[in-house]
Formats: sequence, C-alpha cells, structure tokens
Amino acid sequence: MNRRRVLRRRIVVAILLLLSVAMLTLYFRESDSGIARGAQSVVLRVVAPLQNGTARSTKPFRDAWNWAGDLFSAKSENNELRKEVEQLRVGVAQELTTQAENDELRAMVKLRDHKIFPKGVRLVTGRVVARPTTAWYSTATINVGSTSGVHVYDAVVNGAGLVGRVTSVTANAAGVTLIIDQQSYVDGMVMPGGAQGILGGSVTGDVTLQYVDKNEKVKVGQDVVTSGTSGPRGSIFTRGIPIGVVESVGLQEVELYQSIAVKPFVDFRKLDLVQVVVR
Amino acid sequence: MTLERTSIDTARHWPSGGKTARLAVMLVVAALLQTTVAPNIRILGANPDFALIIIVCVALMKGSETGAVFGFLIGMLTAIALMEPFGLSAFVFVLVGYFAGRYAETADLSAGFAPLLTTFAATLVANTLFAMAQFLLERQVPVGFFVGRVLVPSLVINTLLAAPLYLVVRLWLHGAGDLRVSRAR
Repeated sequence: MNRRRVLRRRIVVAILLLLSVAMLTLYFRESDSGIARGAQSVVLRVVAPLQNGTARSTKPFRDAWNWAGDLFSAKSENNELRKEVEQLRVGVAQELTTQAENDELRAMVKLRDHKIFPKGVRLVTGRVVARPTTAWYSTATINVGSTSGVHVYDAVVNGAGLVGRVTSVTANAAGVTLIIDQQSYVDGMVMPGGAQGILGGSVTGDVTLQYVDKNEKVKVGQDVVTSGTSGPRGSIFTRGIPIGVVESVGLQEVELYQSIAVKPFVDFRKLDLVQVVVR
Repeated sequence: MTLERTSIDTARHWPSGGKTARLAVMLVVAALLQTTVAPNIRILGANPDFALIIIVCVALMKGSETGAVFGFLIGMLTAIALMEPFGLSAFVFVLVGYFAGRYAETADLSAGFAPLLTTFAATLVANTLFAMAQFLLERQVPVGFFVGRVLVPSLVINTLLAAPLYLVVRLWLHGAGDLRVSRAR
C-alpha cells in the first residue's frame, strides 16, 4: 500500500516536471500563433480583468507604500517636517492616487501635443496590471490588447518618455519589454549634437548608450532621445521620443566607441498609466 | 502489519472538494498577489515572493503531492499573467512544492521555525534554479548581482514574511493542516 503511494507520488512529480520542460520547449520552438501562446491568450482573457481589478484596487496602498518608502529614504528631513508628514499621511493615499493619475495623464497629453508622432498614429492609453518580481525580466503586462488595435513591436510611452515596446499581444492584454530589460535595444541619440548609438538595458536596470563614436562630444546632463525615422514605414520608435539624460560618459583610449550611462526619464518602479503608439 | 492508515498516509490523500475549492481560491489570490502587489513592494531592495512562500505553506500543510501540483499550477498561472515563457516557473515551483511537502512528511513540524526554515531553503533553491535557467537561456547572470541584489535580499524578506503568511494560509485552509492534526493524534 505504502509502496504504491510512494510510486504514485513520484509519478505525479515526474509527470509535472516533464510537462513543465515540454511546455518550456514548446514555447521557445513554436511560432507566435502556436498552441502555447494560444492557450496563454485564452487564459489571459479571464485573468486580465482580475489583474486589472486588483491593480486598481491596490493602487492607493501601493502609492502609500511608495510614498512611505520615499519618505523613509529622505533621512535629511528635520523633525518638524516629519511630524507634519505623519499628520498628513493618514487619509492622503486616495488623493495622492488621483493627483498622480491626473499628472500622468496631463504629461501624456503634453507629449502628444509635441507632435513627435507622425500623422495617422493613434495613442492607446492603458494601465500596467502586472509586473514580474524577478530581477531577470524587466517587463510589464498592460490591460489593452489587439481589440484596441495594439500590435507586437508598437512603441510604449508615458508622460515622461519612452517606456518600451510591445512584445506579445492577446485580445485584452499586451506584454511590454521595458527599455531597461537586458534584451531591449533602441536607436538613440544625444541632443543637442546628435551623437548616435544603441541604447541597451541590463539585468541591473542600468541603461547604456553604446557604440557612440569616440570623436563625438557628449556631456553629462544632455538629453537622449530616440533616433528612429518617422513616416508610414518608419522605425518602431519614432524620432524624438525622450528617453533620459546622460549620467556619465565612459571613454577609454583603447576603445573604438564610448559608452554613455543614461538615466531614464521614466520611473519604472512606479509605472502605471502608459500609451501604446498604434500605427 | 496493519491495514489502518498511518498519519503520514492520511497526509498523502488528495484534498476533499471543499478543501480543493479553498486551494483554488488560494491559487488565484497567490497569483494576483505575485503579479500585481508584490512588484510594488520593495523591502531591502527585493520584492517579496508571495507565490513561493504560499507554495511552501500549502506543501507543509497538505503534503508533497498537493504541494507539487499547487506549485505547477501557480507557476503556469503567473507565467500566463506575466506573459513569460511557460514551464520555467512551473518546473521550479513543482520541485519547491514537492520537497517542502516531503520535509513536512518526514520531519517534525512542531517547531515554530519550520515554515521559516523551509521558506529560506526554498528561496535559495528557487533563486539558484532561476539564475541557472537564465544562464542557459543566454541572458546576463552576473554572480555579484545575483548574490548581492537578488539572493540575499530575497532570503531575508521571504523568511521574514514566512511566519505571517503561514498563519494566514493555515487559517484559510482550516486549522493546523492535515499533517499536523494527524500527527498530534
């Protein structure tokens, strides 16, 4: 009896492990319209609204948490301010949420009004509903998908600047690879001056503009924007989308190119409302 | 020799309908916590791994088979929700659920630090397996970054959260769990 139970237990685990490996293999080997992604799309239709609801309902708490975290790190504040903050903390979460959303939406409208995006482009507003906790992937799931016109490779922005690009789409959700992800590459240029390079993310979250000609003069504090081309057959990332600011310039005599550390304008820790650039 | 079921045998039984429903709710809640709440909570530079801790808690209370199945399902659900490659999280969580359950079936769980110890070990194993998988998938895995910014903070935060989450899971799944109840008989 006991032996049979042990055998059953081992078989169950072996089947589950084999199934996991099979799913992993299938996922990497199949095309974008394969069985695994199809199943993912079907399940996401049910899960995405739940995620959306959870993300919305927990937003005040998340904001309060972030707010408290920011306060915690600001150790130089004097005692008087601390007391005042303590008094204000109670009940302020909801107002903070509304205000933050208003600010984000205003900033997004401002970005659209700059006429960075060519005619015929539509901006679809969505909300980040899920993020991985692992350090290995810098991605986000947003609550707009193919029914809103979102496609793979569409650029994603928010009021501060470039967020990333769409890498997978289902009917009502899309996966976005952020520009800080180690597998993200964006054509970028330093303004003013126009020094061009490839902006790459990393596992540490640092963003670097690589392959910049060593003869180009780049200074700390200059802005970095996308250097793509506009027009109907233009790049994924239209020219001129703000990315970040030059933080440091690494130039060594022996190297052919200079490597520039860029601090993104977007605060990826607090990512919430975004816009997908739909062509 | 006796045909009467022992306490450990009882623990290996699959959960009844009501308990399965409770496990299903726990599964969805864990996946939602993991994908929508945990990314926004950052303590000591790390995000809590609610899914992992809840798998450990369920495995400690329900045994290795249930732990493995629960781990598999939660791995699949989080991969779907995050639009990540299928199978990787499921593979790691099956192992975590199984071995946490085996620990519960073979060791004395009366000590209060059992969930903490198991969560610590599970975090160590899971993070190492995830890092190895990233290496196999040809992604950057700097050892210093992994140890200093991923592993150590995760070990601290997950171990600290293990006790309160264990209590919550235990309350939700009714009482001290099949295993501990049966052992006390």
